[in-house]
Amino acid sequence: MIKIILDRKEPSLAEVRRHQNFHEILAAHQYQQKINNPWRYWYYPVLTICLLLLV
Amino acid sequence: MPLQLSLQQQSFLPDEEKKLIERAQQDPRFFAPLYERYHDAIFRYVYRRVDEEEQAYDITSSVFVKALQALHKYEYRGLPFSAWLFRIAKSELYQSFRDQKAKRTVSIDKVVLKQVIEEWSEEYTEQDKARLLVALKNLKDQQLQLIEMRFFEKRSFKEIGEICGLSENNAKVKTFRAVLKLKEFFHQKE
Repeated sequence: MIKIILDRKEPSLAEVRRHQNFHEILAAHQYQQKINNPWRYWYYPVLTICLLLLV
Repeated sequence: MPLQLSLQQQSFLPDEEKKLIERAQQDPRFFAPLYERYHDAIFRYVYRRVDEEEQAYDITSSVFVKALQALHKYEYRGLPFSAWLFRIAKSELYQSFRDQKAKRTVSIDKVVLKQVIEEWSEEYTEQDKARLLVALKNLKDQQLQLIEMRFFEKRSFKEIGEICGLSENNAKVKTFRAVLKLKEFFHQKE
């Protein structure tokens, strides 16, 4: 069911900016990337451990 | 309700926008100017369609996270970048409605409502207002979206077409049909 709101007050630009910023979005994106592709972040530590084991 | 800037007014010059997108595709940190430019418009688009402010913030965040994730696939074909963002926003909104995280809401300015009634009726009455609200609820979702964008948000047919993935003429025709349907529902119980 659709809800209709008349003369709804909208938050000001300053309020919206206070609530959200690009750094949060970027952090969420980086976290999402890490979840989607964990190998990308584990590649160098795993490589280092393998080399150490070989030595 | 604050005035909504049109997509054209909000857009950068095409070349400038293209360069910013290319830089952001290389490094997501360079997405910041695009975010700053379009965040408010996307937030307001979402806010008018959901009943709770917090949900609007959450959906807006996921729009930009999704945009960053899909940015490498974006190809500039003359369509404003904002139209691409609005399409993501539309899809995120409908996903929230399907998941029942948000309630489909229509935010209307009383002045606009009065203008529509005065055009179709001899005088504005509370009864007419109630009838128009019922008529709006009876529309199919796509028809409601078109009425919303054209009359409540004052968007051009070009912008509507870009957001809905229609040509300008097709947007015009479909909006005209939606208005006819709304009028039919409005006069039905007379």
